Amino acid sequence: MRLSELKVGEKAEVEAVKAVGAVRRRIMDMGLIKGTEFQVIRVAPLGDPVEIAFKGLYLALRKNEADGIFVTTMSDVTAK
Amino acid sequence: MDNSNVIRIALAGNPNCGKTSLFNALTGAHQKVGNFSGVTVEKHEGYLDYKGYRITVVDLPGIYSLTPYSPEEIVTREYLIKEPPDVVVNVLEGPNLERNLLLTTQLMELEIDFLVALNMMDEVEEKGIVIEIKQLQQLLGCHIIPTSAKKNTGLDALLDHIIRVAQKKITIRKNKLFFRPELELSVDKITALLLHQKELKNYNPRWLAIKLLENDRAVYHEVQQYPVWLKIELALQEALREAEQLHDSEPEILITEDRHAFIRGAMKECVRQTSAIKATATDYIDMVVLNRVLGLPIFLLVVWAIFQLTFTLGSPIMDGLQLLFDTMASTVEPLLPNETLRSIIIDGIIAGVGGVLVFLPNIVLLFIGLSFLEASGYMARAAFVIDRVMHRFGLHGKSFIPMITGFGCSIPAIMATRTLKSRTDRLVTIMIIPFMSCGAKLPVYVLLTAAFFPPDVAANVMFGIYLLGVIVGLWTALILKKTVMKSDSEPFVMELPPYRWPTFSSVFFQAKIKALMYLKKAGTLILGAVLIIWAVSNYPHNHVLDAQFAAETARIEQSGASDTQRQALTHALDLRIKSEQLEYSIAGRIGKVLEPVIKPLGFDWKIGIALVTGLAAKEVVVSTLGTIYSIGQSNDTDVELKSILRNDPSFSQATALSLMVFVLLYIPCVAAIGVMKKEVGHWKPVVLYSIYSLSVAWILSFIVYRIALLML
Repeated sequence: MRLSELKVGEKAEVEAVKAVGAVRRRIMDMGLIKGTEFQVIRVAPLGDPVEIAFKGLYLALRKNEADGIFVTTMSDVTAK
Repeated sequence: MDNSNVIRIALAGNPNCGKTSLFNALTGAHQKVGNFSGVTVEKHEGYLDYKGYRITVVDLPGIYSLTPYSPEEIVTREYLIKEPPDVVVNVLEGPNLERNLLLTTQLMELEIDFLVALNMMDEVEEKGIVIEIKQLQQLLGCHIIPTSAKKNTGLDALLDHIIRVAQKKITIRKNKLFFRPELELSVDKITALLLHQKELKNYNPRWLAIKLLENDRAVYHEVQQYPVWLKIELALQEALREAEQLHDSEPEILITEDRHAFIRGAMKECVRQTSAIKATATDYIDMVVLNRVLGLPIFLLVVWAIFQLTFTLGSPIMDGLQLLFDTMASTVEPLLPNETLRSIIIDGIIAGVGGVLVFLPNIVLLFIGLSFLEASGYMARAAFVIDRVMHRFGLHGKSFIPMITGFGCSIPAIMATRTLKSRTDRLVTIMIIPFMSCGAKLPVYVLLTAAFFPPDVAANVMFGIYLLGVIVGLWTALILKKTVMKSDSEPFVMELPPYRWPTFSSVFFQAKIKALMYLKKAGTLILGAVLIIWAVSNYPHNHVLDAQFAAETARIEQSGASDTQRQALTHALDLRIKSEQLEYSIAGRIGKVLEPVIKPLGFDWKIGIALVTGLAAKEVVVSTLGTIYSIGQSNDTDVELKSILRNDPSFSQATALSLMVFVLLYIPCVAAIGVMKKEVGHWKPVVLYSIYSLSVAWILSFIVYRIALLML
């Protein structure tokens, strides 16, 4: 599942960052790497970008960018 | 001061880590600002004298990582490698240690002398966070000094430490961060290869090896020039295969993951949260400010407030400045008997300097507002709220505020694009700003709509003009992004930092810097351009006209008419001579040469002259028309000019519309051009842009004129 498909309030864990170049670098530098747990906080008033929170950081990313981040929702993580 | 007593330090850290506050707390008033060589990234430098040492401080740009993607990151890295300071101070945001430590791990890899200033300790305590500093020191292998730039604590301890490190009284251990074993093998292999290439011995070979594994473009470029590259390339391919086989990943990703794993471990060992984590003020504020319903209205309110602050509050100050220069001119006037000299000093120099300074209130006020938004944390939210709209035109959410500011004045607006990190985004935003109709163009619209349209239609016409500007601007952005500036759009991956009350000094520091920057960099350019336009509209001087003027004045004097009659006659004569002088000048000749080109737009040579002088400042179009049509500078200029234009056979509603469109879109004023050049760095894009805007203006004016002729 992609980060962009998550709903507000859902918690998930990063599986893989499949973006390329500067976007991937930026995402990973902010600490969004394999295994990072985060929660979707809100969607901007006009529907894009989204805000997520992890490790005390609030991060905004466009759905475009969020498309390249593959995640497992927390309910699936516990089920495993 | 003795050279051995000078210590050079640099502050490095994430955005929002309190670096600028620390810089201000350390250097106080001894600051200067410039650019890093070759790029438009600001370089803030300052110094302080402490215990017999002169400590010079460079405040490096705020960055999250040392990757070569943004200009800020490239500049910082180049600086640290090519001109390493005696001591680097890595400023960490105490309450958000985990994210801040990424940069620290990269400084460790560079193996330079650095200290950590663990900043915002007051906030750390407030939040019930306990940081085991000794343990963290052990792990990072560098000294950590707790500070609070806001509360002014820990600064002396920091300075004492800096001196001791610089004097080599304490050595820094320089811990290495070790990656997973298979990566270390690759690193070692490449390091060994690099050691054979003596041209690269200025670099730390382990760092080069890591960067090569990370696919770092800049380092690739450097190493590729040497024969050793052939062997290295094989080693890199092998590492890539290995990462693929073992982890279904790439070395670049694995390295980042290992850095974060190291940080995770350090956090687990050294940082404890003693009290329960409460929802912070930031959470509550964002519930309102980023609310789905309220978010947009609040954003618009903030933008409105910034606009009001800049222009409504700024205009009385501007008027004051204008008055000051007018008084200056009228005081000087009687002291200068020679007419040529008088004209040079009053119409050239005083008016020119005034023309430069007049933008200063706007710039200072705008940057007080913008740096308040930036430092408080709202700027990132503003971009978050409006990004959807801007993205549709290939722009970034952060482009919105500079764009809107363009409705007031392009000069501060162009300078405001510095909040944009990506070069292409900045360039595109700068290029669309002049299409946002600025305040100086308004008098032109007011004159023409009032002269040619009934009051109920005038407002709609004016609205249409503004709308046309926005459409052309956004369309330009779209075209630019789809063609010449396709590459490297700024990814929208942006921190929403916690809200903080900005310190007084950091807000005013920015305003001061921008003002100085403007005066120093753009001021001379603008002054020069204003002087050229002055010269062009005053020279060559027609002496035959002078003689005629003298003769006719004498005739009026002797005519025996009453005083008031004589005055009126002299006045009319004066206006006529001025008008003819303008026609005789270079500007007048250009206007005439231009006539065939602008004829299809409905313009004659008189309008041509006004368009040339209008390059000095757009409102000059009105005063030039006034001069050409021989209208005196009185309060009822507008009324008079209006009726003259209305009765002029060469003017019609269609001409008025065409002229408004042309004034809206053609080349920006020289002040805007000057600031544009300074912000972009080269003339080429500015020249291309001027040609573009001139062509767009011509084409759209032509269309509007032809349609209007058919319909009106």
